Amino acid sequence: MLDQPLLTVILPAYNEAEVIGEVIAEIRSVMTCRIIVIDDGSKDATSACAREHGVSVIRHLLNRGAGAACMTGIGLARKMNWQRIAFLDADGQHVAADLLVLLACMEETGADLVIGSRFMNGGNTIPRIRRFFNSVANLLTNTFCKNSYSDTQSGFRLLNRHAIESIDLHQDDFSYCSEMIVQAEQLDLKIEECPISVRYTAYSMSKGQDFQVGVMTAFHFLWKLIFK
Amino acid sequence: MMEIRIFQWLVPILALLFLISQLLRYYRGRIDLRETVSGILLWLSLAALAIFPDAISNAIAQVLGFKSNTNAVLFFAMGLLFYFQYRLYHIQVRQRRQLTQLTRALALQEFLKEEEI
Repeated sequence: MLDQPLLTVILPAYNEAEVIGEVIAEIRSVMTCRIIVIDDGSKDATSACAREHGVSVIRHLLNRGAGAACMTGIGLARKMNWQRIAFLDADGQHVAADLLVLLACMEETGADLVIGSRFMNGGNTIPRIRRFFNSVANLLTNTFCKNSYSDTQSGFRLLNRHAIESIDLHQDDFSYCSEMIVQAEQLDLKIEECPISVRYTAYSMSKGQDFQVGVMTAFHFLWKLIFK
Repeated sequence: MMEIRIFQWLVPILALLFLISQLLRYYRGRIDLRETVSGILLWLSLAALAIFPDAISNAIAQVLGFKSNTNAVLFFAMGLLFYFQYRLYHIQVRQRRQLTQLTRALALQEFLKEEEI
């Protein structure tokens, strides 16, 4: 049996007022869990929309990036003694039902960190440009890892208490995805990947990383590794 | 007799002023020993380069293998610029991190206060 009530779903969000309500409703339709929105200094009504849907909101006064929001979630989980936390993108890209897949994977394998991989599911239609950026990011990240991962940039992740206590992210931007994997390996945490579904819409495509942000993300990741 | 150009006395005077200021800042406890020593070395080097421009630039050219001392000085200046750029980026990274930590602490504090209520 999955210990569902223990799960806390954290949604790092920046200007997601348009879709955050749907994402929260979808999660609720799948399972009973605690939902927390980390509003990363949004300029729109993200916080208000989330509160309207009855979830707790932590609000960054300034926009600090996806990695910073993610680490705030981990920090909160430590303070509140939560046993398991899952991160989902707040743009509606992920399918909430896959939370059950990640939980089952953690139960079966005893992994400390489970990453939802978009590329392990052959049924996903992923735009070519995204495939290209992700393969470059995978190559870069896997160079610094002992194992090879199929989706190092996935924001769909499940962490157990051991991972919550151990992982300490320093990267504020999207390079936190790679940093978390590299750090988890260095800390000897068990990492597993499992297939997830993904849906790319015009909205979610407008929210991701573009070429310029991707280059800076790679630069920050390398800088931290080299000059830490 | 050797002609003394304006920069040959102006730069050393400015360097001396900055050097004294650097020492005063150290004695007042505003900067640490490392910063003081690196500052003193920088201003002494600039003063020396201004007083003996040809001799020093020729020596740099010889050490680095440049044919012309002008190229050597340009190369050296570019190296210094890169170093300063690196230091500035490093400071920026540190300040970004501090800003994130402050933002996070405030957000968590606010959240926990709300939860108590």
